[in-house]
Formats: sequence, structure tokens, C-alpha cells
Amino acid sequence: MKATHLKQAAALIAVTVFAANMPAGAHHSFAMYEKDKLLTLQGEVKSFQWTNPHCVLSFMVKPEGGGEPQEWAMETTSPGVLTRSGWTRNSIKPGDRVSVEFSPLRDGSHGGGIESVTLLDTGQKLTVTFSNPRDDIRQP
Amino acid sequence: MSHRFARLVTSCVCMTVVGILTARGAEIASDKISAPPTLRDYEALAKLPDFGGTWTPDVPDQERQETQNMPPWTPKADQRIKHMIAEDDAGRPFPIIDHCFPTGMPSYMLFTHNAFELLVTPGRVTLLGEGDGNRLRRIYTDGRAHPADPDPSFHGHSIGHWEGGTLVVDTVAVFPQVYLAISESVGVPNNGDMHIVEHLHLDGANVNTLLDDLEITAPKVLTKTWKTTRRYYRTRQQKFGIVEGVCPQGYFSEAVDKNGDAIFKPVQFRNGIPVGPDSSK
Repeated sequence: MKATHLKQAAALIAVTVFAANMPAGAHHSFAMYEKDKLLTLQGEVKSFQWTNPHCVLSFMVKPEGGGEPQEWAMETTSPGVLTRSGWTRNSIKPGDRVSVEFSPLRDGSHGGGIESVTLLDTGQKLTVTFSNPRDDIRQP
Repeated sequence: MSHRFARLVTSCVCMTVVGILTARGAEIASDKISAPPTLRDYEALAKLPDFGGTWTPDVPDQERQETQNMPPWTPKADQRIKHMIAEDDAGRPFPIIDHCFPTGMPSYMLFTHNAFELLVTPGRVTLLGEGDGNRLRRIYTDGRAHPADPDPSFHGHSIGHWEGGTLVVDTVAVFPQVYLAISESVGVPNNGDMHIVEHLHLDGANVNTLLDDLEITAPKVLTKTWKTTRRYYRTRQQKFGIVEGVCPQGYFSEAVDKNGDAIFKPVQFRNGIPVGPDSSK
């Protein structure tokens, strides 16, 4: 085996070890969410990660029965798809009050897949466009 | 370690071993050189249809084909596919793409949700996609043949030629481990000897729709050649261009270390969702 291929093999092994140490899959199907079920929660944004392969919104929700706010984490698609849906990495900022429409995790824990995010202070509704781009972004 | 994650690790290790075994030394397929392009070569490009802009896949159509255009699976593959569909419906998706390797061919064209651009240059067509970090296809249109014994790769070795306004692409030498999949969580490894023929062309007068007519022959998992057409929509607005999409970035979050340096720090996962820097690392 030539040195070049030894390097390639080492790189592959490094990737494998790296992958083996990963705590979970960053890129995955959204079948973990109940896509036919939509819930809505309001809360205050803790963080918005503009990250491949999936962006993540964390926000604090006050329980209906009172008590300390609880953190919820919601996933959506990639920066590329969101950009073409009209989002930017600054669309949602820490401290923003939001209403999040989402498909919940099947086990009932505090997570879900985002259907839409409405910024309560401005009324702007952010959605995801996966199909034929809107007419206003189709060009002559 | 969960069974699912163990399968993923096993798959990665197998891919590594195969990668080592298939490294064949510094073989050179031929002594031919690529001549520098001439003005005539560039003028010839102007006669081809314009494939520029950003091409976004028709995801709803992808999802329709998951149920309405099932590949002709072998009985053994079909049994596994049915099990995966049932698992998917139950909220336990099989981790086909979790490793963040490129999805490879033909998944690049079949079920990915991200856009790509298509660059036509003398002797070459190049597809550059976003997501998975390395979604790159090189299609040689300079008249060369496939190497006699090409090194396998995620996207295979592709040669192409133009028939009028249609780009005909022939792809071989895809890693046997690359999934032939109908979605992000349903598919089987192609297991070798896969051959893909594509006819890429604009949709008649609708110049903002690109069609890829695929003919996929995979004798280890299909009983006959599977034909499917995939659709992509063009946008030209610069703000909707391709963005970088490095998949493993999802395992990290932006943070500042004790030196005040900006770093990427491993994230914690909660219920499978990355939720911020892991303070223990």
C-alpha cells in the first residue's frame, strides 16, 4: 500500500472513530416526530442554532399549571432550505417571544419538529418551503 | 450502546475496511492528458441549454414516489424494506444518513432535500450540492471511457455526453455500502455492480424545471432496472444560492473557550435533538 493510500485509510479510520464517539445522529429522518399531529406552544427564545444539517430552536415555556419555565428544543431543516424559505440566521434571537407550531416527539418529551414560528412582537410567521419555490422567487 | 447505533458503527467500520482493501496503489488509468480548452470549446457551450441557477428538489414528489413508484426489490430486500417502512411509521426511522457521509449516488438525485448547482465547462459537468459536506459529482464529457477498474466512491465514476439538449450520464463504481434508498430512512445497501444511466434535460418549454430520468440497475437488490424521474425547480435570485452545508457541524455548537477563543464545542443531545454545548467536554 502506497503512502497516499495509507493516509486515505488513516483518514477513513479517523472518521470512523469520530463517528463512533458521536452521541447521536446529527442528520436523521424526521419520522421521530408525529407529523400528522400539530401542537402550539408559546415561550421565550433561549437560543437559535443556525447549523447544518438541522437548525435548532430552544425556548422556555411556562407550564400551564404554574412553576418554573421549562426548556423545549425544536428542530427544523438546514440553513440552505431555510434561506430559500425566507429565513436568516438572525430571524430568531434570544429573548424573542415566539409561538411555535410543531409536530411533537412521539414519547411526549420536550421536543419536536417545527412547522412554523411566529414572532409575537412583530407578527411575522416563519414557515418552511420544501416544494416548488414560491411564485415571487421564480424568475423570468 | 443501542442496537441502532451499534449497526451504524459496524457499517462505518466495514466501510473503512473495504476502503483499505480497495486501495490499489497509485495506478494510473491512462496516460492521456486533458488538452487546454479552446475558444471553440467555449463557443460550443453557448449552444447548450442553460443549466445555471440553483436547483431545488421537488420534495412532495419525492414523497409521492415513496409509495407510488417502489423499486422492483428482490424478495430479500423487499422484506427488509417493508420492515423499515413499518418502523418508520412507528417513529423509529432507520439511520441511513446519520453518519454524515455523503448520501452518494443515486440518493443525491432521489431523496435529498437540499439544492444543487450544475456547472457546465469544457469537457466537464459538475454538480455541487449543499448538505452532507461533500455532495459533489464530477461528470466527464470529454469523451473518455470509464477506467477499466475504477476505485469505488460514494458518487461513483461518471461519464456523459450531450444528445441535443439532454445530458446523458453513465455512472459505475459506487461503493457497495452506499444505500439504494427511497427516503432518508428506507433503503438497503446496493451491494455492488450498480449501474446508473441518467437523462438530464429541461422540461420542454418550462425552462425552470429540470428533469432527471434515472435508470438504476442494481442486480444484488433489484430484480430489474428501476426507472424513476425526479424534478428540480430553478431559482436565480442570488440570495437563494447554494450555501455551505457541512453535516458534522451538527455535532458541535459555537462557544468560547477559557482563552477567549471562538471554538466549536460538542453539543449535548436530548431526545435525539442537539441542544447546546456539552459543559463536560
